Amino acid sequence: MSMLNSTENLGIPVEIGAIDGELKKLWEAGDASTNASLMNFLVYTEDPSRLQENSQTIQELTRENACRAVLIAMNRKATDVKVESWITAHCHLAHGKKSICSEQVSFLLHGKSLGRLRNTVFAHLNSDLPLVFWWQGEFSELFEERLYRLLNRLIFDSSDWADPKIGFRRLLEARSDTKGGMVTQDLSWTRSYFYRLAVARLFDDPMAHKAFPEIEGVRIKAQSKHRIAALLMLAWVITRSGWSVQCQETDRVILESLEGSEVVVDLIWDDEGAPISELEMSAPNFKARISREAGNSHLCQSICAENHVADFSGPADDDDSAGLVASQLSRGGKNSLFLNVLPQFMELLEGGD
Amino acid sequence: MNNPFREDLVSRNLAEACSVVIFGATGDLTHRKLIPALYNLAIDGELPAGVKILGFARRDWSDEFFCEGLEDSNRKVSRTGHDEEIWESIAANIEYHKSEFQDKDGYKRLSDRLDEIDRERGGKGNRLFYIASAPEYFDDILLNLKEAGLSQERPHCDGCWSRVIVEKPFGTTLETAQHLNEVVNGTFEEKDTYRIDHYLGKETAQNILVLRFANAIFEPMWNKEHIDHIQITCAEHLGMEGGRGGYYDEAGALRDMVQNHLLQLLSLVAMEPPTDLTADGVRDEKVKVIRSLRQWDTPELVAENVVRGQYVAGNINGKEVPGYRDEDRVKSDSETEAYVALRCMVDTWRWSGVPFYVRVGKRLPKKATEISVHFKETPSVLFNAMPGGVPTGNVLVIRIQPDEGISLMINSKLPGTTLRMEAVKMDFHYASSFGKSSPEAYERLLLDAMAGDATLFARRDEVEEAWRFIDKIHKAWADSAEQLPIAEFPAGSWGPWEADELLAKDGRTWRRL
Repeated sequence: MSMLNSTENLGIPVEIGAIDGELKKLWEAGDASTNASLMNFLVYTEDPSRLQENSQTIQELTRENACRAVLIAMNRKATDVKVESWITAHCHLAHGKKSICSEQVSFLLHGKSLGRLRNTVFAHLNSDLPLVFWWQGEFSELFEERLYRLLNRLIFDSSDWADPKIGFRRLLEARSDTKGGMVTQDLSWTRSYFYRLAVARLFDDPMAHKAFPEIEGVRIKAQSKHRIAALLMLAWVITRSGWSVQCQETDRVILESLEGSEVVVDLIWDDEGAPISELEMSAPNFKARISREAGNSHLCQSICAENHVADFSGPADDDDSAGLVASQLSRGGKNSLFLNVLPQFMELLEGGD
Repeated sequence: MNNPFREDLVSRNLAEACSVVIFGATGDLTHRKLIPALYNLAIDGELPAGVKILGFARRDWSDEFFCEGLEDSNRKVSRTGHDEEIWESIAANIEYHKSEFQDKDGYKRLSDRLDEIDRERGGKGNRLFYIASAPEYFDDILLNLKEAGLSQERPHCDGCWSRVIVEKPFGTTLETAQHLNEVVNGTFEEKDTYRIDHYLGKETAQNILVLRFANAIFEPMWNKEHIDHIQITCAEHLGMEGGRGGYYDEAGALRDMVQNHLLQLLSLVAMEPPTDLTADGVRDEKVKVIRSLRQWDTPELVAENVVRGQYVAGNINGKEVPGYRDEDRVKSDSETEAYVALRCMVDTWRWSGVPFYVRVGKRLPKKATEISVHFKETPSVLFNAMPGGVPTGNVLVIRIQPDEGISLMINSKLPGTTLRMEAVKMDFHYASSFGKSSPEAYERLLLDAMAGDATLFARRDEVEEAWRFIDKIHKAWADSAEQLPIAEFPAGSWGPWEADELLAKDGRTWRRL
C-alpha cells in the first residue's frame, strides 16, 4: 500500500522489473495514438506528496514537449527500503486529429540505499535522447557527480532554497565538475525573461537610449520569496550596463555608472504583488517603467520623457513552475546569458547580508 | 551606441522600431496575414516598441472603421487567439491614410505624418513600406515615394533606414520584372529591397538548409552519385473560389507558382553549401542553381519536358466541382494552364543527369506541398538479385505544408521465417514533436525586414533568372500552341496522363501523396 493519499494520476501500478513489458503493452493496446519523445524528462523530489502534482504538471508539459517522463519521489525518512512504480501515458490531440502520447514512469523510493536514485534514473531512459533533469527543492547529497555528469540540462528553482548561497555554491561546483557541459536553468532567472525583453524593448526607443547614461535610480519590486529572481535581474542590468557595485546594504545597492555617476538601486518587497511586480529606471526628466499586477498575464511598459510618453503591453512570465519549465523547454539553448550574469549575481548574493 | 540590453538576449538580428506603411491596406492580405502577423509578434514579445502602422488605400475609411475591420479579422485568423489588452496596444498605433496611389499630395501628407510620428517618438525615423496593392500600382507607388523623398536617406537622421517589401507577383515576364527592378532600384537601394516569397518564411523551407548542412549523414549523399531524381509537388484542392479566377487566368500555374515558390524550393534543395549564412552568402548560391537550369527554349524541348493542363469537371471530397473554363472570372476559351509539370535539369557538377520533376496544379485531390528526394537503388546483388528485389529505393520527403515534417522510407525485413521485405517509414512531424505552433511565414518575414535581414527574400538576379527560364517556356507555348496543346484531366485526379508520361519515359513515376 502506497503512502500517497491517491495514486490515480500515476496510472497503473507495476512491478519495477516489468516496466518495459507493461509499457509495450500500453502501446499495443492503443490503436490511434503515436508515442512521441524528444527527450528524457526527469522530475525529482524529496517530498513524496508532490508526486501526484508532478504527474499533473507532466500532463500539461507534454502538450508542447513530447518526452519520456520519469518521475521520482524519494521518501528518505522511511526505515524500510522499497520501491513502488507506476506507468501511464499522457495523450493530446494534435490539430484535432492524431493522438500524440508521451509515456510516464513514476517511482516512489522509500528508505536510504546507496546509489539508488542514480541507478533508477539510468535504468529508465530512452537511449540517445537528451536528459533534462528538473531537481525540485534543495540540492541534497544525492546531487552527486556520477549523476549530474550525465545530465544535458539541469532545471531547478532557487526560490525554493532556504539558503541560496549554499545552493549556488553547490551549483558552481557541479558546473566546474562537468566542465560546463551541463546546461543549467534556474526558474528564478526564467521568471524575469519577459522583464528583460521589455527593458531591451524600452531602450530601443531613441529617447530612452539618450537618457541611458544619465540613469540615477533603479527600483525593483518583488515578492520576498522571489528575492533571488530580483537579484538575478539586477545582476543582468548591472552586467549589461557596465556598471559596478560600490557598496551594498540589505535592500539598497550603490552602483557606479560607466560615466562615473552614482546609480542607486532600491529593492522593495511586496508579497501581495506579482512575483516581480515592477522595474523602474529613472534619470532627470526620464522614467522607464515595467510593471505587472498580480494575476495579470501582461507587462505594462511605459516611457516618460520630456514631450514624449509611450505605453505598451507585452507578455509576462508564468507564475507557476510548470509554466516556467515549459517556457524553458521551448526556448532551449545553452543559457549562456545566465552564466555571464552569474559572477555579478554571486557578488550581490554574497554581499547582501 | 547599441542598446546594451539587447545584446545576447536573442540570437537573431534585432528588429528595430519603425513606421510600417501598408499600401493596399484595405485588402485581404493586410487583414488575413499582415496585421495578424504583427499582432502575434507582439504576443510573443518580438515586436519592437514604437511600431506605428499606417494603412494607405483609396477607400474612404476612417481610422476607427479600418481598425475595427482589422480587429474582426484578427479575431478570426490569429494563430494565438485574440487578447484584448495586446490588441489595444497595437490598435492605438494603427492609422488609416486615405489617398489614391497616383495622388502626389497623398504622399506629401504621408511624409508629413511620418515626420510627425518621428518627432513624437523622439528621434530615429525608420520606415518600412509594404506594397501589397494590385501589381498595376507598383510603379506609381514607388515613383511617388521617391518624389516625396520617402525612399532616400534623410539628413540629420544617422542610421535611419527606409525599406520596401514588394509582394508578388514581381513582374509577369522577364521584361516586366526587369522594368520593376529598375523602378525599385531607382527608388530604394537593393539592400533595402525585400521581394517577398512567403514560402521561404515557412518553417520547413528554412529547415531544408538545416537538414542538409547540420546533419553529416545527408550532404555526402546529396549528389548525382546517390540521388536518382527529385520531385517537387505543390498540389491544391481548391479551384478559383473567392474571385481569384480573374488574376489566375492572367497568370497561370507557371507564373503564379513555379517562377517564385517552386524555383525557390528547388534552389534550396540544389544549392551548394554557402560560405556563410549572410543574406548574400545564401542568395549567391541559390542564384547559381537557377542560372544553371537547362533552358527549354524550343517548342521541341518544351514538348519533351513540360506538360500544361486544365481540369475539367469532376469531384473532390464527394462534391461536384466545375471545369477550369467554367470557373468564376475565367474566360470560357481560356488557354491558361491550371496545372503544369516540368522536368528540370540543373547543369552543375553535383546534379549532372539528375532530373528535378516539378508539378503544381489546382483541383488536385488534396492540398500538399513537398519535396521528395529519391535515392538510387542498391546494386543488383544480395537482396536486389532475388525475385522481387528490394521494394523501393530510399525516399526522403520534406513536407512543406500541411503537416510539416520529414520522413524517410527505408526497407525492412518482415517478421517471419522467410526473407520478405517491405518499405517502412520513419516519420518526423513538427506538430507531434514540437507542440508549440510555428510562427506564420509573414511573422518571420516582417521581423526579418525590420531587422534588415534579407536572407529569406529574393534578390534581383534570382527573380530575373527565374523569369528568364519561365519566359522561354511561355514563348514556346505562345508560338506553337498547336504543337503544345493543353492536356485535360478530371478535377480531383492527380493531373493529366501526359504528366505521368513525362516520368514514365524516364522509367519513373510520380510519388503518390
